[in-house]
Amino acid sequence: MSSGRVDAGLRLAAIVLALVGLGVAAYLTYIHYEGIKPVCGLGGDCEKVQTSEWSKLAGVPVALLGLLGYVAILASLFVRGEGGLMAGALLSIAGFGFSAYLTYRELYSIDAICPWCVASAVIMTLLAIVTTVRLLRAPAAPSEEGVPYVG
Amino acid sequence: MRHHCGVSTSQKQTKQQRREAARQARLEAERAAALSARRKRRLSMLGAVLGLAAVLVVVAIVVSSGNKNDSSSRAGKVEKATGAIPGQTESREMLTGIPQQGMYLGNPKAPVRFVEFADLQCPFCREYALNTMPVLVQDYVRTGKMRMEFRDLAFIGKDSEKAGRWAAAAGQQGKLWNFSDIFYFNQGQENTGYVTDKFLAKIAKAAGVDPVKAKAYADTPAADQPRQVATALAQRYDVTSTPTFMVGRRGGGLAKVPAAPTDTNTLKAAIDGQLKGT
Repeated sequence: MSSGRVDAGLRLAAIVLALVGLGVAAYLTYIHYEGIKPVCGLGGDCEKVQTSEWSKLAGVPVALLGLLGYVAILASLFVRGEGGLMAGALLSIAGFGFSAYLTYRELYSIDAICPWCVASAVIMTLLAIVTTVRLLRAPAAPSEEGVPYVG
Repeated sequence: MRHHCGVSTSQKQTKQQRREAARQARLEAERAAALSARRKRRLSMLGAVLGLAAVLVVVAIVVSSGNKNDSSSRAGKVEKATGAIPGQTESREMLTGIPQQGMYLGNPKAPVRFVEFADLQCPFCREYALNTMPVLVQDYVRTGKMRMEFRDLAFIGKDSEKAGRWAAAAGQQGKLWNFSDIFYFNQGQENTGYVTDKFLAKIAKAAGVDPVKAKAYADTPAADQPRQVATALAQRYDVTSTPTFMVGRRGGGLAKVPAAPTDTNTLKAAIDGQLKGT
């Protein structure tokens, strides 16, 4: 398979992941503002997590931050060239780092796990991997390397 | 002639082939060089991305935990809390002069009631009690506008139940709030069996509660009454976690306040909303 086709596949995977993440974050943002109890399976305690002091960053709900993050990642996947690749990787890796911190807080400070939040953390992790591989491997657009395309 | 001509043609072909091969090699080399240059450039890009991401995450974490445990908060003082037992002086400062009656704190005629569903072992109830509650007591309870209710669900485990019984006993002596506040200051790891009679007697003494009488009362069925009432109330309002805060008018129904334990502003806004209905 050519590197171009591999990259197209990775990009598609990233788009799908970002869309799923977007859905999860949208749901968490919605219940945060509505103050309703999330559907919380697997013996988790979403309400405890969602109302904890770590549910907001400087007054902004982390669910909303996640939502904006996924939107930005999705947008970066439609930006051509290395700028888009870098933006996607930066957002995903930063998102991964913050998700890891929040999961740590869930486990050790809040003593409750919210499956939706964990789902988002897993999606962020996968996005960080995919966008990093793309940043390293994606073929450059012709103009970026000054080498004529040889068929 | 013919022969010569033939040789000439074949020589031409090889020349052409050689030129073609050289061109291919050159292109190949250029491509390889471009590829390795790209790889280098992308790696340095990844380095920049990782560095920037690390900065972003560190800033987020610092912001996220910045407002907690600073030395100005009551919780921050816990290590250097004064009095014979951590929290003794602090809880006295917060509560002196405010009427207490069982699980109630404040003026019985106050127009607004404020209910906290709690568990003495719950770490977020501690966060609330040490950081947020003093502000609410100062602004609303001391001024006679609001009466607080301590609804102890005691559902985390055996240690919670035992602590709850002693809290009820402290309430019987009109000191529940001193007891619970000092308990929170000295809260240990959940369900490790740290809530012994000795531990409770120490808290009770610091709260101004007679420990011998308290122990005797804690062993009676009456000491479990508040937990049962609180549990029934929680079921009625669909309360599933602690701390849960509810506000309402005196003698009226209650509404949940969706506030985090240290979200003083949201709690104050909800209380102000109830007061406006006066």
